[in-house]
Parts: sequence; structure tokens; C-alpha cells
Amino acid sequence: MKSIKILLLVIVPAILGVSMISILEKPDWDDETPVFEVLAELGEDKPEHFVTMTDEKVKRGEDLVKLGKATGPNGEKGKYISKFYTCTSCHNLSREDPNLATVDQDARLKYAMENKIPYLQGSTFWGIVNRETWYNDDYVLKYGDLVRKAENSLKASTELCAVVCSQGRSLKDWEMESILAYMWSLQMKMGDLDISKEDTEEWKENKSEENVALIKSKYLQKSPATFAHLPESKSEGYPFDGRPEMGKGIFELGCQHCHRPDGESDVVFENNKQTLGWLKKHITDDSDKSIYQIIRKGTYAEYGHKEYMPHYTLEKMSHQQVEDLRAFIEEGA
Amino acid sequence: MKKITLSLTLVLICTALVAQTDYAYETFDDTRIVNGHSVETKNEGILTFIIAHRFGPMTSGRNNLWGLDFARMRMGLDYGITNKLMVGLGRTSTDGTIDGYVKYKFLSQSSGERSMPISATFLGGYALETKAVHPNPDLELDLSQKSSYVAQILIARKLGDKLSLQVMPTFLHRNLVADDEENDIFAVGFAGQYQFLKNWSVSTEYYLTPKSSLPNNPDGNDFQQSLSFSVQIDTKGHIFQLHISNSQGMVERTFISESEGDWQDGKFLKRDIFFGFNITRDFKIKGRKIR
Repeated sequence: MKSIKILLLVIVPAILGVSMISILEKPDWDDETPVFEVLAELGEDKPEHFVTMTDEKVKRGEDLVKLGKATGPNGEKGKYISKFYTCTSCHNLSREDPNLATVDQDARLKYAMENKIPYLQGSTFWGIVNRETWYNDDYVLKYGDLVRKAENSLKASTELCAVVCSQGRSLKDWEMESILAYMWSLQMKMGDLDISKEDTEEWKENKSEENVALIKSKYLQKSPATFAHLPESKSEGYPFDGRPEMGKGIFELGCQHCHRPDGESDVVFENNKQTLGWLKKHITDDSDKSIYQIIRKGTYAEYGHKEYMPHYTLEKMSHQQVEDLRAFIEEGA
Repeated sequence: MKKITLSLTLVLICTALVAQTDYAYETFDDTRIVNGHSVETKNEGILTFIIAHRFGPMTSGRNNLWGLDFARMRMGLDYGITNKLMVGLGRTSTDGTIDGYVKYKFLSQSSGERSMPISATFLGGYALETKAVHPNPDLELDLSQKSSYVAQILIARKLGDKLSLQVMPTFLHRNLVADDEENDIFAVGFAGQYQFLKNWSVSTEYYLTPKSSLPNNPDGNDFQQSLSFSVQIDTKGHIFQLHISNSQGMVERTFISESEGDWQDGKFLKRDIFFGFNITRDFKIKGRKIR
């Protein structure tokens, strides 16, 4: 009897111990688990832009993002945030990059062409809540105090975008909350990350901080932004051979996103000789009619003509891709 | 049989998913061709200021800069209530005419899943000659006697990237006419535009008004069919239209039924034709559904 008791005292804890180890070994998430929740369980603080999602808030936010206005929680009819743009004028709402951990413009363009996703200047709202900075890098260098608060705050970024980038008005509290709720509905899930079997094995050995780092290594914490220079000679362009088939993708998914009938721009670009001939004629101009000028520098909102074109950073369109667009234009002109 | 049905169903679904409608856009550069309206309407929330000048006859010679010293002017505001419905209000210096109109685009040329060969717009207008006087100086005209109305169906088709054509069946009603004139005039207009560069185009506009319907000209010369030629320049926010015409009028009642100039009388600078221009400027008053 005594020996049985001793045996039980040894075996049961051993069995329990092994079970505990097994439980601890298994990552407590699946593909549908939001990344934010896993990080929170690992001890990360809730971000400042966290809001609770309700179906009504998310729907209102979706209307605000896609249509530019929504009906308020008390039934008030909202007015357009901007007369000129909606969020989707410059931002997608879906995944844009096959690999979330690197900047690869060609991979992004190919992904866009395969999935018919617009090729835009702004970063996608998909996963934007998972980032840690916005309006970073050269935005700070160029715009200074205008963007300093927005660099570390998604709320401030959203407000800045509404007032300055969209040439619109300040957001009401319910509008901000609704937009953020909608953005949260587009957050990354663990299944979006490229977590391998080896990563999962590594997970078991790690402490919390290491697992946080492991997760964060699978996606960029910011959207890098480099304001690129014009080529030294516009007639020679950047030192790349253009690929017209890629340029066609840029033209259709990028340019024509706004330059279309009843679009954001009054200037309509068609895939015909008239448009392409006009674009070709102005390639070397020292004006915003040149594709180099307009892509790298954009235009400014002016009195009497607030609509403007934001530029593409280097990360959003590489020099190679600008040459691709040029090749497409010259081929079709 | 089941396989065939399934295949057909899949084909139909795929076709429905792939099919789309492409609408013709910018059939004409602006809502006016020269004097008359095109099928175009302003987008929702756009307020357009339009200023139009018609100068004196070129026969007035070099000393009067071939008519530039004499000017008639119309100022107007057009507003897009929706992308298809617009209203306009204006005043012309000639006879102090105040005019207003409503314009609705009820058909849009399209191809693809929904195919429509033409665009069509209804125009209904009213004009009041505030300075019109009774031939008898002891009598005054009342408001209805100074009024005229116009109704048009503007039918246009864009033929490729560069050429657009339009026909304009027109009904014009003048409340007060001489005893030997008709109140109602039926006319047909024809117009076309050719876009030879990205933001340059040329256009022409002609109104075929039956001679028997044309009113009597107090000056003695017969009124003529209205014929105009124009060049358009489309810049950021502005449209410039430079034209020559045998009509000085800028309201339907005047250019459809009271065109004084004669294209066939004399050499070019010695004809009673008039140089003029329209300039429009768009202002965005409120937002609209963009996508």
C-alpha cells in the first residue's frame, strides 16, 4: 500500500508535468487569431488607437472610408469629409504585399496585377492598426511639425489625412471611432504571417519577449517612406530598361485609378494614342505634365484648385517601375 | 444532361461576373458647344461660372477692331444637383434677358453589358426680356409678354476617341409675336466636335430653323439660320471657347430665331459675323460619390 502511494505521488505529478509542458509548448493561436491578441497575451500594451468593434461602428467606418460620409449613431446625416477624395482614393483595403516583412515593389506590382488591386501612393488600411508608426521617415524630414504627432499616432494620422491630405474637415468623435473600428476589422491575423513549422518549434523554446520579436519579424512595423529624386536627365531617365508590360499594370492600376471618367481628377487618361502621345510629349518637361515630375513630386493643393496628386515614394514605385511606365507610354504613343 | 446544365450555369455566372458596362464620357468638352447646349451635364456639387461675350460685326472694320469694341455679355451660373441633373441661371446684356433652365441627362452612351448607342439630355428653358418694350410707347408689356420658352432633346453620339456628333430637335415658344408670326417655332440643330489634341478641340453648331418660322427683323434684313465655329481649350478648371458665328444672341430665343449675320454676304472680314468667346470656371461646392 505504501509503495502504491509512493508510486502515485511520483507518477501523477510526472504525468501532470508532462501535460503542462505539452500545453505550454503549443502556441495558443490559430490562423484566425488576430495578431494583436497574441501580442497582448504576450504582454504587449494595447495601442492608443485601440477601439472596441461593434457591427454598427464597423459599418459606419466602412461608409466613411469608402463613400466619404456616413449616418451618425444618433441618425444624423453626415456630410462629406472631403469634397475631393475618399480614403480609397489613395489607400487600398486589402493586402498588397505577398511578403509582409520586406519592401519589394515588383512583387507588390505583380501581386496587384494578379489580384486587380489598385497600385496607389498610400499604404493599405489592411493591417494598418498593427503598425507602430505612420507618416514616418521622409515625411517627418520634409513636413516636420505637421506630421510629428501623426508619426506615432494612428488617430492623429487619420485626422491629418482628413484635414490636410484630403483637403477636408476635421473628423467628429464618432467618425474617428468608426473609422478606427473599421480599420480594426482589417487587422492582420496570425494566418497572414509567414509562420513556419520551424518558427513554431522556436516558439516553444522562447520567452514572451522573444515570441513578440518573432511575430514582429514577420511584418513591417512601419511603411518606409523615401522621397526620391528626379533623374539627372529626363530624356535619359533612370538607368533601367523599361518593361512595358509592367508599365501597363502601373498605368491601369495606378494612373487610371484617379484619371478616369468622373474620377478624382478632371484629366482622364485613356489607353489610346491621344493620351499616351500627350504623356510622351511631356516626359522631358520641367512641369507636372512630366511623368517624372508628377510621380516623384506630385502637385500641391492651390487656392481655387484644391485637388492635387500625391507623389509616389520610392517604396511605392521604384525607379525601375517609372521606366516601365515610360516604356509603356512610348510604345503606345 | 446534368453536366451540360452545370456547365451552362457556370458559363452564365462567369459571364455575369466578367461583363461590365463602359460609359462614354466627355462626348463634348463642356455643357455648351457654342451658343447652344451639349448633352453634357455638370457633376454633382460643381458650380460653374460662365461668362460669354459676343462682339460686334466684323464689317465694323479696323477702327472698331472688327467688332471688338462692341460687346454683348452673358454671365451665368450652372450647378450640378446630381451627375445627371443641372440647373442654370444667367443674364444677358441684350434686352436685359434673364434666363434659366433645367437639364437632365436621361440616356448615357455605353457598351458592354448595357449597350446604349446614344446619350440624350432634355433641356427646358425660360427667358425673360426685361427691357423689351411695346412698339406703342404708351403701352407696357407685362411679364408673360416678355417671356419665351424652349424645350430641346439633345441627342449625341461619341464616335471613337476624337469625334462627337449631336442633333437637337427644338421647340421654341414666344409668348408675344407680331400678327403675321407664329408663337411656336420648330427647329433642328446639328453640332459636332473634333478633338485633335488632348485638350484642344474644334466644333461647329448649326440650327436649321424654317424660314417661314423666322420672325420679322425690325431692321429689315431677314434673320438667318445660325451657324457657328469654335475652338476649345481645356485647362485645369477653365474651359475657353473662341468662336465666330452669325448669331450675337446667347439665349435660345435669339440665336435660334434671330440670327442677324449672313455668312454668304461679302468676304470674310466684311461679313456680318461676330467673334465671341465663352469662358467657364468650375468650383467644387460639395462632395459627391467618387467610386
